[in-house]
Amino acid sequence: MASAAKRLDVVPGTPAPQVSFEAVTLQLGGKTIIENLSLGVRPGEFLCIIGASGCGKTTALRLAAGLYQPTSGKVNFDGQRMREPRREIAIVFQDYGKALLPWRTAAGNVSLALEAGGMPSAERLARIEELLRTVGLPGHAGKYPSEMSGGMQQRLQIARCLAQEPKTLLMDEPFGALDAMTRQGLQDEVLSLVAASGATVIFVTHDLEEAIYLGDRVIGLLPHPGRIGIELAVNLPRPRDQLSTREHPEFLRLRRQLFDFIKATEQ
Amino acid sequence: MNRAALLWRMASFAIAAGFVALWQLIANLNLVSPVFLPGPDRAWTALVRGFSSGDLWSKLAGTLEHMAYGWLAASIAGIAIGAIIGSSRMMRTYVAPSLEFLRPLPVSAIIPVAIAMLGLTQAMALFVIAFGAIWPIMLATIHGFAAVEPRLYEVARSLQMSRLAVIFKIALPSASPDILAGMRLSLTVALILSVVCEILAGLDGLGHWVLLSARAFRSADLFAGVILLGVTGYVTSVAMSLAEHRLLAWQAAQR
Repeated sequence: MASAAKRLDVVPGTPAPQVSFEAVTLQLGGKTIIENLSLGVRPGEFLCIIGASGCGKTTALRLAAGLYQPTSGKVNFDGQRMREPRREIAIVFQDYGKALLPWRTAAGNVSLALEAGGMPSAERLARIEELLRTVGLPGHAGKYPSEMSGGMQQRLQIARCLAQEPKTLLMDEPFGALDAMTRQGLQDEVLSLVAASGATVIFVTHDLEEAIYLGDRVIGLLPHPGRIGIELAVNLPRPRDQLSTREHPEFLRLRRQLFDFIKATEQ
Repeated sequence: MNRAALLWRMASFAIAAGFVALWQLIANLNLVSPVFLPGPDRAWTALVRGFSSGDLWSKLAGTLEHMAYGWLAASIAGIAIGAIIGSSRMMRTYVAPSLEFLRPLPVSAIIPVAIAMLGLTQAMALFVIAFGAIWPIMLATIHGFAAVEPRLYEVARSLQMSRLAVIFKIALPSASPDILAGMRLSLTVALILSVVCEILAGLDGLGHWVLLSARAFRSADLFAGVILLGVTGYVTSVAMSLAEHRLLAWQAAQR
């Protein structure tokens, strides 16, 4: 990606977070979903958020996307307060079946993001083809989402998000509904896509191993109301590998730590 | 088309042919006076004669014109109003009950009102046809707009799409199956009301032709007009189905 190199050289030595939560509290319908959450995500960082269901991890992601506004506190992006969603922040939803336009083909779905970005129609076709190839869907441009498997549809949604040329990519349990083999393949693809684009990622999952495998850092949330319960740096070599990374003593240690954390929250 | 479908199609044609034959038999046996019931042979002759003299062409054109203008006006207004009501929960809550009161109102009941206000004019016909045909379209559009997947609105928000783009790229296509179904229903309503208006207001069209033929005891001409109206209804509805099929090709992929 041409713009990727440009972004990467911003990363070194810049401690300013790209996404930051400053004492964020969110109440919905009289219930406190998230309380006093403070968090900074460095540019280019891969942050994973885990937690038991109902701990507010999806809500935190929606706050980062600008789809919710905090009741108190601030969510900042590049030092500016977020008041509404912006194109530089793309979000991959878990329910790809609902997030794609069923009346548009794969190419049309990717095109939606390019149209929103104001790309002239003459340039779109080549870009669409490139994006579909990037996510491993070459030759499927003319297919409707309903003609594609779950894994392919999620790839398509990722392609649409990449078409936004996001600085930050938010992923809400993107592989939760996929089978184990497809999931592992997509994990590796996301890692290489992110490495190539230099985007910052916030990745929500309930799969502890997935969080360690992908992330530079893993945050565990405590439920009722959502707040940070554990924070772990993942010092595993990159590129990651499905076999050797998962057998690494550090991986096993982190997994144990997170497992104990989740077990404690459930009691 | 596979073998079974072909057989069914042939069977349906055979049954239609059987009805025509039965009609011919009844006419030939003079079970009903030929003054009131012509056979299919005489109706066909009248149809051919009407077309070759040009009379039926202009009547058919008149009816099609009434129907098309009324239906198009109903479609545009119905989709626009339906979109406004359907995309706002507040509007749905406040306006929907009034619509439920107006909807079952027989349109024939407002014809005298329309005549009183607009006279026996084309404008009156346009108003009545559009008023009758708007309901299925408007209600279908409201339903279609209300049922847009909320997730898609979030996608639109994170893409920072404009309001107009959201309507034309998300809401309208999402509601299009409902809207087109409503438009198909309205097509029939528009034809019925065209005929009614022509009969009541003496406007040029097949309705007027049928009325005059009946009064003059020209039963063959009467039946020619009725047949032509049936064909009009059938052809427009088939054309609409084809258009629907084309526009909603993505739905066929979904099944």
